[in-house]
Amino acid sequence: MTEHHPGPAIRRSWRRLALALLAGTGLTAMAEGARAATPGNAMVMAWNIDAISTFDPAQIGEVVTSELLQNTCDSLVAFDPKDESKLVPALAERWEVSPDKQQITFHLRDSLAFPSGAKATAQDLAWSMARVVKLGFGNSATLTEYGFTKDTVEQRITAPDERTLVMKLDKPYPVNLVLQAVAANRVATLLDRQTVMKHEVNGDLGNKYLATHTECVGPYHLRQWNAGESVVLEANPKYWGPAPKLKRIIIRHVAEAGTQRLLLEKGDVDVARDLTPEDMQAIEKMPGITLSRTLKPQIVYWGFNNANPIFAKEKVRLAMRYLIDYEGLGKTVMAYNGVPRASFAQLGAFGALDEKEGQPFKLDLEKAKQLLTEAGLPDGFEATMIFGTLPYAAPIAQHIQQNAAKIGVRIKLEQMANAQLFARHRGREFETAMLAWQTSVPDAHGNASRQIYNPDNRAEAKLTQYPSWRHSFQDEKANKMVQAALLEQDEDKRAEMYHELQRDMMQRGPTAIMFQSIMLAGVRNTLKNWTWNGFAAYYDLASKE
Amino acid sequence: MAEAAATSARRSGGAAPALPAWAGTALRLIVSIAVTLFGLMALTFLIGRLLPLDPVAAILGDNATQEAYEAMRAQLGLDQPLWIQFARYVGDVLRLDFGTALTTGKPVLEDVARVFPATIELATMGILIGTGLGIPLGVFAAAYRDTPLDYFVRVFGLLGYSTPNFWLGLMGLVLFYANLGWVGGPGRIDTAYQWDVEPVTDLLLLDTAMAGQWEIFWNVLSHIILPASILGFGALAYISRMTRSFMLEQLAQEYVIAARVKGLSWMRTVWVHAFRNVVVQVITVVALAYAFLLEGAVLTETVFAWPGFGRYLTNALLAGDMNAVVACTLLVGVIFVGLNLLADLLYRLLDPRTH
Repeated sequence: MTEHHPGPAIRRSWRRLALALLAGTGLTAMAEGARAATPGNAMVMAWNIDAISTFDPAQIGEVVTSELLQNTCDSLVAFDPKDESKLVPALAERWEVSPDKQQITFHLRDSLAFPSGAKATAQDLAWSMARVVKLGFGNSATLTEYGFTKDTVEQRITAPDERTLVMKLDKPYPVNLVLQAVAANRVATLLDRQTVMKHEVNGDLGNKYLATHTECVGPYHLRQWNAGESVVLEANPKYWGPAPKLKRIIIRHVAEAGTQRLLLEKGDVDVARDLTPEDMQAIEKMPGITLSRTLKPQIVYWGFNNANPIFAKEKVRLAMRYLIDYEGLGKTVMAYNGVPRASFAQLGAFGALDEKEGQPFKLDLEKAKQLLTEAGLPDGFEATMIFGTLPYAAPIAQHIQQNAAKIGVRIKLEQMANAQLFARHRGREFETAMLAWQTSVPDAHGNASRQIYNPDNRAEAKLTQYPSWRHSFQDEKANKMVQAALLEQDEDKRAEMYHELQRDMMQRGPTAIMFQSIMLAGVRNTLKNWTWNGFAAYYDLASKE
Repeated sequence: MAEAAATSARRSGGAAPALPAWAGTALRLIVSIAVTLFGLMALTFLIGRLLPLDPVAAILGDNATQEAYEAMRAQLGLDQPLWIQFARYVGDVLRLDFGTALTTGKPVLEDVARVFPATIELATMGILIGTGLGIPLGVFAAAYRDTPLDYFVRVFGLLGYSTPNFWLGLMGLVLFYANLGWVGGPGRIDTAYQWDVEPVTDLLLLDTAMAGQWEIFWNVLSHIILPASILGFGALAYISRMTRSFMLEQLAQEYVIAARVKGLSWMRTVWVHAFRNVVVQVITVVALAYAFLLEGAVLTETVFAWPGFGRYLTNALLAGDMNAVVACTLLVGVIFVGLNLLADLLYRLLDPRTH
């Protein structure tokens, strides 16, 4: 038995006093240190920027870096900040189209210079565009699709002088589409050839160097990137256009949505990009903060593998669409994530059906059951749905599973990491899959050319960049319509062709398209003119009081 | 007899002289560390290759052609047999070349050197808080066993064990940052000061103190104090419970009664006699707790937007960036082995029985 002698460990009162004073001083000093606000000449943004892995325009493919490059690397032309379906001059101040519509001549501005002060020329631009094709990353498809291959790109994209760039097309594509898809895209950014080639390693055309640098003509340039920590852009003093109103853009990597909300509420950031629906609901009512929203050119869909005999039946695929409560989900799970959309062409795109006609479905279990009976499956069937980790994926999957069970369709749900989901989808290793797909053009052709058109359905063709191939979907009639619409010169006729294709594909297509995503950001009212659309965010227009 | 002695001499070495005892110990230690690290390397390498993650897709994106995909696969050496990939990897590691991280495009070693100081700073503050409070609490709880103080320490310790850091972090931020404004927000430093610190050690508290930038020092302290306290709370729970248990064992010994009979005060008996005998064990516990903190507290780092090692490792894992994952796992292994070694050395130094 141990004997206890309780008694105060520290008796002397001066010690207590000293400790209290020390603690008090520390807290006061820290509270002083804790005072913060965003600098007046900078925009501070909280964003999950984990996905950044490079700043090479030839390689980047995800949302964050695309947006950063749009603000550091101008393209030949740009999307109008007020209307994304319109194009405005950027590096090129004007352009001409040949009568046969197979040649576009761009006239570059006279005052183009890199942040280093070196003059930027059309030769640099032609080299930059050829570089994208030669490197062969995913972005090269943007150019190869319009006939610029490794063998032809140097002949088809030329610079007869310092200010003229000529693009020769292999077919008379709609000019507006070429401008949107190629000229306004990151594949038409102007790189500082000399600087980039100075850092070439093993013939990589500066790919390694550009992983951490931007050597472009744009309103800002990359000053600092600490992976998983922050990105800092600084205004380019040599910029040809109006000088950006804010000198610095500071993007702080904040992965946790709750933390982003606190930072925004306290005024430690001006913009928060990854808030949850609950946060947005609360923020909508807060003084001093505005919720800014814009439609994204991304569709969320439930795709069916047509190699599976069950899903090869058009009526089965159609029946699945009637299992989705578009309206109910749109008001609940997707309230801050997307708008109901069943057509492959996103709202805002050329040739897209309007909101009403582009979403004619509603939850109708009887109709679904009837379609299954007509397809010869009155007792239903069993299938697996794979889906990723997007916050809304699991609730939608469960919603479909419950509705499907009511008509005898037993859906097994399998959730996995997104990287694994993409690998399974690319490899055709699925029965049904829920994913999102983003197009790079405000034109119905963007999704028609990937979601519907499939030039070769053989397994060995491995056309993994085509979701249509991944779904083993090839329809001769649809293929012809996509091709015909692409080369139709009359705009009204072309739009009508897409309308017809959308109506057809909503009935027979390989996927049940469910939503078009929306982007939301919490913006403090001290930041003025936060401007964005589905294709770009314009940091150079933002200002502060 | 003489013959037997000669045979014994031949057996014990003959031509080669026997190694001194310390050298044998050191050799055993080195071999054991090398085998541990090699095993760790092999295991993580295999896990990396067997997991259904696709590093090629991570680089090229979802839109790449199969041709580009195959070319990148070959470039990364993933088309080679597994044993060749492993042999190459071991060769690279021995040259301290861990390859380039897919997620950052930078050499892994450079990445680790960048993120590790943030974690060292946070973990060190955390362990200082955890040890500074945990040991006295553990000792007092044992000294006043079954009193309200003991119950308080035990419940407090239980809370430290069972409350998720993620929740504590968010609640701490809501209370101390958003409502009271006592501490700085997420991140290591205010944006306004970000460019004013000249990085020397990349430990911001140290760098600002050395430069005499006291205003920034307080700002950095205001940012680190909350996440460090939360990490420290977890460490405190572990350290106080273990210390209490060690102390209870000592306080039941007869020498404690003898000391009291000699007229020593209770506090002197507890601190000078009993505590001295548990110091070695406590050091081992503290070293282990520190190793856990250095490994990186993923959730705490996420909530506090702390650009540390744990988050780097987790992101690499989620992105299938196996170069980074294997390098980080090795580093964690080295930390554990190193701190265990340090605890062993301290043990020898502080425990007279081992002399």
